[in-house]
Amino acid sequence: MESKRRRDRRSWDWDSTECRAQLDEIFFRQHDYIQAGSPEHKEFWAFFERFQRFKQKRDVSGSNSNDEGGWEKKPRKSGDVNLGLPKEYDARYRINVSVCTRDVEERFSGSERRQQSTSGPGKEEVATCRLTLLHFLDFSQRQSFGKLAKLRREQRKLPIFQYRDRIIELVKTHPVVVVAGDTGCGKSTQVPQYLLSSGFSHIACTQPRRIACISLAKRVSFESLNQYGSKVGYQIRFETTRTPATKLLFLTEGLLLRQIQQDATLGQYEVLIVDEVHERHLHCDFLLGVLRSLLTLRPDLRLVLMSATINIQLFSAYFSHAPVLQVPGRLFPIQVIYQPVPPEEQPSRSEKLDPRPYLRVLQGIDQRYPPEERGDLLLFLSGVAEISTIQEACQTYATHTHRWIVLPLHSTLSLAQQDKVFDIAPPGVRKCIISTNIAETSVTIDGVRFVVDSGKVKEMSFDPKAKMQRLQEFWISRASSEQRKGRAGRTGPGVCYRLYAESDYEAFAPYPVPEIHRVALDSLVLQMKSMGLGDPRSFAFIDPPPAASIQTALTYLKEQGALDSHEELTSIGRLLAQLPVDVVIGKMLVLGCVFGLVEPVLTLAAALSVQSPFLRSSQHNPDCATARQPLHSNHGDPFTLLNTFNTWVQVKAERGGGSRKWCRRRGLEEQRLYEMVNLRRQFKELLKSHGLLEADQGAPCRQDRQQRRERHSERQKLHRLKRDHDLQEGTRRKVLRLEEGGEEGLGSSGSEGEESRKEQRDKGVDIQEVKFKLRHSVTELQEATSTSQDLSSRQQALMKLLLCRGLYPQLALPDEHNATRKDSEQIFHTRNKQGVIIHPTSVFASDPEVLHLPELESREPGAEKGESCKHQLLAFVTLLETNKPYVSNCVRVPALQALLLVASSVDTNADCTRLVLDGWLELCLSHGEAALRCLSSALMLRAEWERLLQAQLHQSTRGLAGPGPSRKDLEKLSEGLVRFLLYTEVSYSLRRLSALEIQNLYIGPQGSTGLNDTPVLNNLFPGMETEPHPLKGGLRVTSFLTYNCLANSKDLYSECLRTFWSCPNCDLYMPLTPLERMHHEATCRPAGEIHPEQEQGDGMGAGSKPSSTSSSLTRLYHCDICNKDLSLTSTEILKHKRQHL
Amino acid sequence: MDFVSTEGTPRGLFTCEFCELSTPYSYYGQKPPNTRGIVLLEECFVMKDPFSPEKEKFLILGSTCSLCHKTVCIGPDCSLFYTKRFCLRCVKEHLDQFPQQIQTELLKKKPAQTTGSASS
Repeated sequence: MESKRRRDRRSWDWDSTECRAQLDEIFFRQHDYIQAGSPEHKEFWAFFERFQRFKQKRDVSGSNSNDEGGWEKKPRKSGDVNLGLPKEYDARYRINVSVCTRDVEERFSGSERRQQSTSGPGKEEVATCRLTLLHFLDFSQRQSFGKLAKLRREQRKLPIFQYRDRIIELVKTHPVVVVAGDTGCGKSTQVPQYLLSSGFSHIACTQPRRIACISLAKRVSFESLNQYGSKVGYQIRFETTRTPATKLLFLTEGLLLRQIQQDATLGQYEVLIVDEVHERHLHCDFLLGVLRSLLTLRPDLRLVLMSATINIQLFSAYFSHAPVLQVPGRLFPIQVIYQPVPPEEQPSRSEKLDPRPYLRVLQGIDQRYPPEERGDLLLFLSGVAEISTIQEACQTYATHTHRWIVLPLHSTLSLAQQDKVFDIAPPGVRKCIISTNIAETSVTIDGVRFVVDSGKVKEMSFDPKAKMQRLQEFWISRASSEQRKGRAGRTGPGVCYRLYAESDYEAFAPYPVPEIHRVALDSLVLQMKSMGLGDPRSFAFIDPPPAASIQTALTYLKEQGALDSHEELTSIGRLLAQLPVDVVIGKMLVLGCVFGLVEPVLTLAAALSVQSPFLRSSQHNPDCATARQPLHSNHGDPFTLLNTFNTWVQVKAERGGGSRKWCRRRGLEEQRLYEMVNLRRQFKELLKSHGLLEADQGAPCRQDRQQRRERHSERQKLHRLKRDHDLQEGTRRKVLRLEEGGEEGLGSSGSEGEESRKEQRDKGVDIQEVKFKLRHSVTELQEATSTSQDLSSRQQALMKLLLCRGLYPQLALPDEHNATRKDSEQIFHTRNKQGVIIHPTSVFASDPEVLHLPELESREPGAEKGESCKHQLLAFVTLLETNKPYVSNCVRVPALQALLLVASSVDTNADCTRLVLDGWLELCLSHGEAALRCLSSALMLRAEWERLLQAQLHQSTRGLAGPGPSRKDLEKLSEGLVRFLLYTEVSYSLRRLSALEIQNLYIGPQGSTGLNDTPVLNNLFPGMETEPHPLKGGLRVTSFLTYNCLANSKDLYSECLRTFWSCPNCDLYMPLTPLERMHHEATCRPAGEIHPEQEQGDGMGAGSKPSSTSSSLTRLYHCDICNKDLSLTSTEILKHKRQHL
Repeated sequence: MDFVSTEGTPRGLFTCEFCELSTPYSYYGQKPPNTRGIVLLEECFVMKDPFSPEKEKFLILGSTCSLCHKTVCIGPDCSLFYTKRFCLRCVKEHLDQFPQQIQTELLKKKPAQTTGSASS
């Protein structure tokens, strides 16, 4: 041993690592309470230094020893009891712990001899170290106990604390209890703990927001002294800390609904707490309805509703007058100052907001309150545009006065920027946070002393007529107004400036409009259907939505094929109900599976379900724009997203955490891409579990042991990183720099300053990257995305079609005069809304030419003006009206082909040269021949597509039993679709019908005298069950195609329409009407393709008997002329009749 | 009753008879489990230290006053240890028997008593 070689005992040096190591061997061995190398061990030596310094200082001042002993001489006053305390004071007597370490063990075992012979620590050093260790243990005990005591003290100070026993008693004795309390009363953190400590053990607490689930779980596990256990956990869409030991779970409302979908009785929970019910989110309202009926099934279930003191009676009454416990909030007094905006400063509709009223408040604060008195300002505006207007003005003022840091806050900011509002302003400077109503409930910022309330909010509403979302500005409700005010009194007394008159306030609605009254109910109704809740129209909602809303949703779901005509779920509907996404996106996923385009479609579906990763603020940054350029696709925004995702995965595979920088350069919010990866995986798993996607049959980990071990140790490392991060989170708040407000927000989020700052904050650990690596395998992902990296033009065409079919009927037609308009004035029309505009974030906003018809198209002679074979339509994801109606996330598709393949209504004239799609788009083809060819290929493709789709869905709903569609059939179909999409060269005109034209579109029913009775008609389309259309007139050929129903069309049977035609598949050559011809084509297949059971008998012979193997296409036909009953296919009937002519 | 704690089965609820601090404890005695080498000089109510990730770290909640035998927490406003545990009430009663250091300390602390938190 080295220590033995050292001779000089006097050279003891406390700072030497060697000397310390020798003591470590005595005090901090493997099995000791503190082990060398542990964090406590490090703390000990730090403590040691402090302790020695402290002792030295005391020895120098020497004050202690002076009066020592003096006290003992005094006569005892309380002479009766002798406490038997030692005569001399020693701090060691105050420590109630002793430690048995090596020196003590050796002393007892008599092996002390080693001690004298060696160098190393002498008795003195050992004693010093021992004493310090005792003090250290005592100190750590006091420190931890201090934390505990503080925690308990704070819990007891909460207003809700005195209601603890009452709450527990109420919950034990009532199935439903309403706890109403305002901000700061502590209900969200305490009530779950009260129930937990009173013996309930399977508690779920729902929150409207994911972030609240995480932060509450963290806080409550800390408060319930379980921060290192898993008794308290959370579960949100892609993340959970739940284990079998979890007794209290925070989860989102949506997730609990999904769990009910899986297990209708929710047997896993004993108590359900629904928090923030007053916020009246769609999911929450629905959840309450579901739980109300669940209570009859589960009489043992306990339900606790927690609400602000808003409209409490509504909730109580809904649950048969459940008891209400009202808890006062804990707010400091807030002074309300009404400062209505003078008329000359009120903006007219088109103008920007006038910043003067807001600047006056800032000035007023500067004049009235000295800068040493801390307290920040929170300003509520209605929207992003308003925020940037006011931000600009405030920033100018701030730059001038050096007393403000101006920070915007809204959901389209990058998360890093949003996070900044929690940082601290330097002394003498206040934060001015300009926010949307996100800061009203979702985001809570401490330290706010002043609130400015514009009284306005922008709210999404749904216009069922135009199938359009609308973002409109409204006055807020009194409840919101109070909530905003309350934000000023969380940490001390505050001031609230209301920029409206008291009379305005009195006139506000009492509560905000619940979400269920404002939004499209498609997904909700679908979910209700899949939960077997019966007719949504009669569901007992707490506050039923308008019947029209439900009706619109039902109609829409029927249009989308999710419900059948009896409003029962179809197989596709059942599947869509499982997918936590919009119906349209769910449809795309299903369609993608059928065509083997799963990987790109998964990405697309994920991309369209999250907020755009492209940050708005970077849009005007030329560097970002240049860097983004290679990602753009002029086929449409979904393809840009696809490119972006794929490239990002590539970057991640190559550079790991370097992707963060890559994203910042391009103005991308990486968080969104992480969300996409997670969502994508969830979709994939759902598709697999529904048999739509084959489970990974490949490579059951052919890694050798070495690789597995490596992977395992890497995962362990990642887990450790994540845990360390979780523990540190929220403990580091940065101090803002004065210049911090201005530079960004107004543009450059990619600045280097921002970058280094962020890196600093994260100390190099990119927690998102860690989580990503824990959850996904980059190589797998890379493989998956590489298949969609370079889509061939064929795949691209198919993808567009899938998107279009998914998005249908969300289609927009470019205005015919767009080519002559400026880029910024391009307008489009949807079926229900004219004059919509492409959102500036869309690729088509910057590159509208790709939507124009080629100018110098070589026109075929005789082609009419406006005819072209290059017409395009836009399929779009959202139509949102703000100041103008905008479509966003658009993809362009060839008009004729897409319409014929997806439209739910195709109406024709007699020779099929005029087609009306969905009652609003008219296509005119000058060539009857080409028109027919198109229509009939479209018919066949659609029939086959539908057949294969159904086969796939049936297979998936019945497990693996049924025969899925054959690969060969699928390949043939995609081949056919691609050919149809890319190589249909037919010239046509395309226009939107006027309202008047739409009114007089159809010939209408043709009287009762009888088309129905005409045998000819009945037999024309035997396979297709043709019948006269009851409303439009003409003949309904398929569910979507109605023949010859357009007014001003030529007569159905006029012989002049018959033209000679030869069938390419059989030797038929005869004059046929378009209808007859289409029908022949639909039933006549090339020889090789005929299915055995479809073998056609030779019907030409007038007297041939119906064969026993007659196909399902044959019909019993009575020929009046031969006076015979024949079993013939429709074509055969036609042929038969020809014989008699 | 099921109290919240990570380690072992909670033995019961510790409640300080002075400040009413109340929390479940998992061990009572002088030899906290899994802590070789540690011996307490009084019988204590002990729990696993909830603020440490390590399972073996313990936290002393309180013990019994050697004079009045009331249960008392180790918080400086409730008790002190000087070779034995004394609740502050008993300390005050017999203040003259305590060394000067402790006497001055207690006098100094009085005004700050309301905000007093343990040695953090």
